[in-house]
Amino acid sequence: MVETGHFALVLAFALALVQALVPLFGARTGNSRMMAVGGPVAVIGFALTVLSFATLATAYASSDFSVANVWENSHSLQPLIYKITGTWGNHEGSMLLWVLILTFFGALVAVFGGNLPATLRANVLAVQGAIGATFFLFILTTSNPFIRMNPAPIEGRDLNPILQDLGLAIHPPLLYLGYVGFSICFSFSVAALIEGRIDASWARWVRPWALVAWMFLTGGIAMGSYWAYYELGWGGFWFWDPVENASFMPWLAGTALLHSAIVMEKRSALKIWTLLLAILTFSLSLLGTFLVRSGVLTSVHAFATDPTRGVFILSMLTLFIGGSLALFALRASRLTAGGLFHPISREGALILNNLFLTTATATVLIGTLYPLALEAITGDKISVGAPFFNLTFGPLMVPLLVVVPFGPLLAWKRGDLLAVAQRLMAAFAAALLAVLVTALFIDGASAFAALGVGLAFWLICGALTDLAVKSGFGTVAPDVMLSRLVGLPRSVFGTALAHFGLGLTTLGIVGTLCFGTEKILSIRVGETVELSGQTLRFEGLYPSQGPNYSEDRGRFALLGADGSSTSEITSAKRLYPVRQMTTTESGIKTIGFSQLYLSLGDQATDGSVVVRLWWKPLVTLIWGGGLVMMAGAAMSLMDRRLRVGAPSRRRKATGAVPAASLP
Amino acid sequence: MLFCVIAAILTLGASLAVLLPLAGGSKSPSAAGAHDLEVYRDQLSELDRDAARGLIQPAEAEEARAEIARRILHLDNAGPAARAAGPSTTARLVATAAVLAVPLISWGFYSELGSPDLPSQPLSARLAKNPADSSVDELVARAEAHLAANPSDGKGWDVLAPVYLRMQRFSDAVAAYRNAIRLDGDSPARQAGLGEAIANAAGGTVSAEAQDAFDAALKLDPANPKASFYLAMGLAQEGRVPEATAAWQKMLGTLPQDSPWRDAVEQALAESTKRNVAAGEPAKGPDAGDVDAASSMSPQDRQAMIETMVAGLDEKLRQNPRNAEGWMQLVRSYVVLGKADQARDALGRGIAVFGPDSEEARKFTAFAASLGLTATE
Repeated sequence: MVETGHFALVLAFALALVQALVPLFGARTGNSRMMAVGGPVAVIGFALTVLSFATLATAYASSDFSVANVWENSHSLQPLIYKITGTWGNHEGSMLLWVLILTFFGALVAVFGGNLPATLRANVLAVQGAIGATFFLFILTTSNPFIRMNPAPIEGRDLNPILQDLGLAIHPPLLYLGYVGFSICFSFSVAALIEGRIDASWARWVRPWALVAWMFLTGGIAMGSYWAYYELGWGGFWFWDPVENASFMPWLAGTALLHSAIVMEKRSALKIWTLLLAILTFSLSLLGTFLVRSGVLTSVHAFATDPTRGVFILSMLTLFIGGSLALFALRASRLTAGGLFHPISREGALILNNLFLTTATATVLIGTLYPLALEAITGDKISVGAPFFNLTFGPLMVPLLVVVPFGPLLAWKRGDLLAVAQRLMAAFAAALLAVLVTALFIDGASAFAALGVGLAFWLICGALTDLAVKSGFGTVAPDVMLSRLVGLPRSVFGTALAHFGLGLTTLGIVGTLCFGTEKILSIRVGETVELSGQTLRFEGLYPSQGPNYSEDRGRFALLGADGSSTSEITSAKRLYPVRQMTTTESGIKTIGFSQLYLSLGDQATDGSVVVRLWWKPLVTLIWGGGLVMMAGAAMSLMDRRLRVGAPSRRRKATGAVPAASLP
Repeated sequence: MLFCVIAAILTLGASLAVLLPLAGGSKSPSAAGAHDLEVYRDQLSELDRDAARGLIQPAEAEEARAEIARRILHLDNAGPAARAAGPSTTARLVATAAVLAVPLISWGFYSELGSPDLPSQPLSARLAKNPADSSVDELVARAEAHLAANPSDGKGWDVLAPVYLRMQRFSDAVAAYRNAIRLDGDSPARQAGLGEAIANAAGGTVSAEAQDAFDAALKLDPANPKASFYLAMGLAQEGRVPEATAAWQKMLGTLPQDSPWRDAVEQALAESTKRNVAAGEPAKGPDAGDVDAASSMSPQDRQAMIETMVAGLDEKLRQNPRNAEGWMQLVRSYVVLGKADQARDALGRGIAVFGPDSEEARKFTAFAASLGLTATE
C-alpha cells in the first residue's frame, strides 16, 4: 500500500529529529535515559525507512502509475529486474536509497555500539540523526517519491534506456554504501569534537568504518567505470567527467583517511588529522551528491531556473561542512595530540601518502569546480577535460605510486630506509626487466609505456615482497616460512592485496592507453577485418524484438588461424520507442586479460555498416585491480584483533638502528 | 480505514521507541576514562590469547604489551565525570516534547503531503476494471493492447483512428487510418480522416500526401464535406485564394442547412476575404478546432469503442469457452449496452458450455436474474 510507505517516511523523519536532539541533550546534561533514546529510535527509524523503500519498490514492480515517480520512470513492458532497479534510477528514489543506507548504518552503530562510552554513542547517533533528518526533510519537501496521481495514467514514460542495464542494479547501491559509510566516520569525528576528547574506542571504530566505506566506494567506482565502458559504446573507461570526479574525490580522501586511521589505531598518533580527514571525506561525499543531484553540472543556468532543490542542498552543505569545520576550529586545540615519531618510519610514510592524496583531491576538486565557478561569474562555458588532469593529477600520482612499496616495509616509529631498499631490490629488478622487455620487444617508441609498465610491476612485486619479507622468505626453512605466511595477520594480507590491486589497475591503464589500437571502417556482409592479430567476419544484421525495444543485431564471427569461425561477437543498435531513444549495445570478447570491443554504427544505403573496433590490451585489469583492492579491504576487515602497533625493537639486534629510547 | 489503522500502529510503535527508554531505569554513567581502561584491558587479554595460540611472536607480544601499558599510563583520568541524572524540570519538558513530537510531526506533515484515500493502483488491477468505468486513456490503452495482439483487426483500427485524431495524437491517427484502409478497404470517411490526420501532423499544412487522400475520398463520395473543405484550404495555403473562395462558395451552395461544416466554411470565407490566408496557417475543421472536445471522447465514439471491446471478449470466449468470469462479464456488458437479445444469447451459450445442471449454470442464471434478465423468452 503506497500511502503506508509515505506515512512511514514521514514517521522516520519525526524519529530522526528526535534522534538528533534528545540524545545530544542527554549527553550535555548527563541524563542517561535521554542518551538511551538514540538506540531504539535509530533501529525503528531504519525499520520505517525499509518499509518506505520496500513500498516504493513494490509500486515499481507492479507498475502502479498512480505514483507520479513510477509513472515518470517506468513502463509496464520493462523486464521485472529493470522495473525494480528503476526504483533508484531516478532522483527521488536514489535519495530514498541514500537515507535507507544512512539509517542502516545508524542502526548498526545502535546495535553493535554497546561497548562504546554512553556519551560518545549518544553523540554519534545524534549526528547521524541530524544528517538523516535533513535528508528526510529534503526528500519530503523537494523530492517526494510518493506524490500521487489520480486518475492514474495508463502507461509510464519508461526508464531512461541507458539505465536499463544490470549496472544500475549494482553501481548506485555500492556507490552509496561507500558515500554514506563515511558518514559514520564523520559522526564519530563530530561527536569527539562535541565532547572535546578522543576515546580509545573512537580509534577502534573509525578504521573499520573507513575500510567498509572505502571498499564499497572502490567497488562502486570500478563498476561505474565498467558500466560506462560497455554501455556508452565509446570504449573509454574514465572520462574525467564531473559526475565521475564527484565520486573520485571522496575515494581519494577516503584512501588518505584509511591510511591515517591505521596510524591512529596502531600508534595513537595523528588523531586530529584523522578527525579532520573524516570530516573532509564525508563533506566531499555530500559535495558529490550536491553536484550530481542539484543539476548544477548540466548548467549553472538550469540550476538557477529551478533552484529549490539546489538551494536546499547548498544550505545543507553549508550546515554540515561549515558547521563541522567551525566546530573543528573551536575544539581541535582541546584534543590531546598523539605520540611522536621519526620522519623515516611507517607513520612518516603514511603521512607522505596523505600529503599526496590530499593534494590530488584538491587538484580534482579545482578541475571540477573551476568551470562551474567561471560559468557562474562570467557566463563563459569552458570544459576542463583530460589534458588538465593528465598534467596535474598524473605527476602527483607517479611519485606516490613509486613510494607505495616502501610503506608497509618500514618499521613503526623509526624505520631504516636503506634496509627496506635492499629488501626491495628484487622487486626493482623485476620492474627494470619489465621496462626493458617493453622497450625492446613491444613498443620502443614510447618511453611512457615502458616506464608505466615498469611502475606497475614495481607495485605488484613490491606487494609480493612485503609478504615474502614478513614470512621470512630466504632466511628460514620453507616449511617454517609457509607456516609463518599462513599465520600472518589478515591485515598484512589486506595491505598486500590492496597494493597488488593498485599495480594491476595501473598495468591495465597503461596497457590500454599505450598499446590499444582502433579502427573505424564500413563493412559489408562477408567481408573480414583484421585488428591487432584478431580477424573478424561480418555475418549480417538481424532485426529482433525485445520486451520494450526493437534492435538490429550485427553478428561478427571471430576467425581462428585456419579461417574457421571460433566464436561470435554481436553488437546492436536498439530503439526504445517510448522515449524515442537509440542505444548502442557494444560487442565485447574477452581474450585473456584483453578485450576486443566492437561498436555498431549507422547503416549506409548500399547495405554496408559503419563499425568501430578497438583492441584493448589488459583492459580488464583496470576493474580486476579494483576487485582485488576490495578483496584487500575485506581481508583487512576480517582482522578483528584489537590492533596495537608497537615500535619494533628487534631492529636493535641487526644494528641498523641505534637503540630506541622508549618513553 | 485500513490505512488509518496501519498508520496508528506505526505511530504507536515509533512513539514507544522514544517513550520506553525515557521511562526506563537510569544507569549511573561511568567516567569516560574508565571506558578507555576497559578497552585497553580487552586489548591486553586478547594479546595474551593470541600469544598463547602462537598467533604472535613472544617478542612482538612483549612490545605490544609495553605499548598498551604506556597508553594506560597516559590515560587522561581527568575526563569529565558525568553528573548523576537528577529528574530536573527541563529534562522532563524535553522528554514530554520528544514523545509528543513523533505523532504531531508525522500526522501534521502527512496531512499536508499524503493522499490517504487513494488506494494502490497496480497495472493488473487497473486493466481488470469494467470498461464502462474506464477513462478515455484507459480505453485507448486497452484498445492498443488488443490491437497489439490482433494487428489485423481492421474494425479496431477504424474505431481507434478518429479517437486518436481527437486526442491530437496525429501520427498515431495516420498509422491507424492506414491500417484500417489496408485491412477493411477504402471508404470516404477513412480517406478524409487520413488526409486530416496527415495535415494536422504537419501542423495544419495540407501537403500533397494529404491532398491525395482527400482526392481519394472525393472519388468515392464527391460530396464529402471534409475532403472538399481541406482541399480548398490547401488551395488557400498555396496562395490560390480566389480558387479556394470559389470552392468554399460552391460548398455553401450544396451543403445541407444543418451541416456542421457550414460554420467552418463561412468562417474560412470570412478570413480569406479579410486577409490572404498565409501559407502554413493551421487548417481548422470544426472538430479539429474544437479544443474542448480534444481530450474527451464523444458518446458515439465511446460507445463504438466499448462495443469493439465487447465483441473482442465475445470472440475470445468462442475460442476459450471455459471461462465463467468471462461469460458473466460478457452478459453484463451486453446488458449495460442495452442489447438484451445478445445478452440472452451469451447467457444461453455460457450455460451450454458448462451444461444446464452445472454449478456455473446456476450461478449464471442467478447473476442474469440480478441484472433483470431471464435465460429463455
